[in-house]
Amino acid sequence: MMDDYTIGLVVALIAVIITFYAAFREKNDIHRLIIADLAEVSALAIIALIATDLAEALIIPGLVVGISELMALSEIYLVRENLNRPVKEPFRIEVLDTAPAIIAAILVIYGIVLSGFTGGVVAGTGMVFYFMGKKQTERFALVETVSGYAWAFWIVAFFIFMVLPEYWFFAVMLAGGAIFAKVTAKMSLIGTMRGEKDV
Amino acid sequence: MFELASFNIGGHELFVLPFGDIVNYFTPYTAALFIFALIFTIICIISKPERQLETAFGTDAIYAKEVTGKDLRFRRFMAIACGIATMGAVTSGDIFNFTLFVSMVGICIIGIVASVKYKHVLNAAFNYGIISMLATIPLFGGAAITLAATGTLSIWELSAMAPAMPGIAKALILVGVMGEGIAPFYAAKAELFRAPGAPYVIMIHVSSLLMFLRVVEIMLAV
Repeated sequence: MMDDYTIGLVVALIAVIITFYAAFREKNDIHRLIIADLAEVSALAIIALIATDLAEALIIPGLVVGISELMALSEIYLVRENLNRPVKEPFRIEVLDTAPAIIAAILVIYGIVLSGFTGGVVAGTGMVFYFMGKKQTERFALVETVSGYAWAFWIVAFFIFMVLPEYWFFAVMLAGGAIFAKVTAKMSLIGTMRGEKDV
Repeated sequence: MFELASFNIGGHELFVLPFGDIVNYFTPYTAALFIFALIFTIICIISKPERQLETAFGTDAIYAKEVTGKDLRFRRFMAIACGIATMGAVTSGDIFNFTLFVSMVGICIIGIVASVKYKHVLNAAFNYGIISMLATIPLFGGAAITLAATGTLSIWELSAMAPAMPGIAKALILVGVMGEGIAPFYAAKAELFRAPGAPYVIMIHVSSLLMFLRVVEIMLAV
């Protein structure tokens, strides 16, 4: 009788084989890109099968590497196909003119209450909704800069944990706030940077 | 305290930097690779890019392609990042960190040629990127199977209880590193190399070569 890990591994490997087969058969570039991203997900599934805290710690960098590869490749695809502008008009209905500010404010405030990764995701969802509804061009480069500094503060908090453990409370607050700002900023950039001026 | 099981490959350790059970180390072998990567990164920092000359067929005209301005800054940055990732992979004492650094080298390689406006180079970069994304499965899969089978990812611990690492995990990591880029097996990489801007483009091959030399050392040590 096989144990759970082996069964999971076999299932994951079958998924990998299907993905590889699809990748070799597919000729359309954008579909190949999506299949390659699916492949990354099955790699994460193999890591997740270990089911320990360490596996969880390994998934995050694995995910980050996968997403950054996906973003780099999408950028290359856009440059190669000359897709600098949105190919069609953005989706407009009346509720998108009124609702975003209220819903975004609620989500951002709730996100601040939650703080940390989770709060960042909630607040980021609010910001995404706001930018989707408003369609004006914001200074996204500034948002990106905030995200960079927030990440630096997060790392500083880790150094405080290691070097000055007696200030742990300050470090926890710093890390929670910084990761909140970082995740919010990153989330809010999804689908918004389309190569306008000042971006 | 920290001892490699076999001194036949890399020699005695010169320097160790332990973080818990993860010990970053230099042996004479990896130190040589590190110095090579360091020298090449410094060359990328201080040197000016080449001017590729192209002759127009049937005429006397010669075009010089220059890399300037923002393009130059971006490509130099990506080349330096690639060098730093290579140095990290060479120094790392942890299987998973090594695979992460190898993936980072893959991303940086795409970045070096991403701002080139030639269609064939972008095409090659895209195809290379697809392969390197698919190669993360064997890379991370190999590291994950190692962790599941032995309970550790530290190269020191693995080499102490050698041969602990399952053969399948070794094979997967080797395939993964090959997928991320062993130059001669890659038509796409030869195309990448035709992009103008020499010291940065050469980083593509240097980093792949160093990755391969390092993975050989790991495979023999664990």
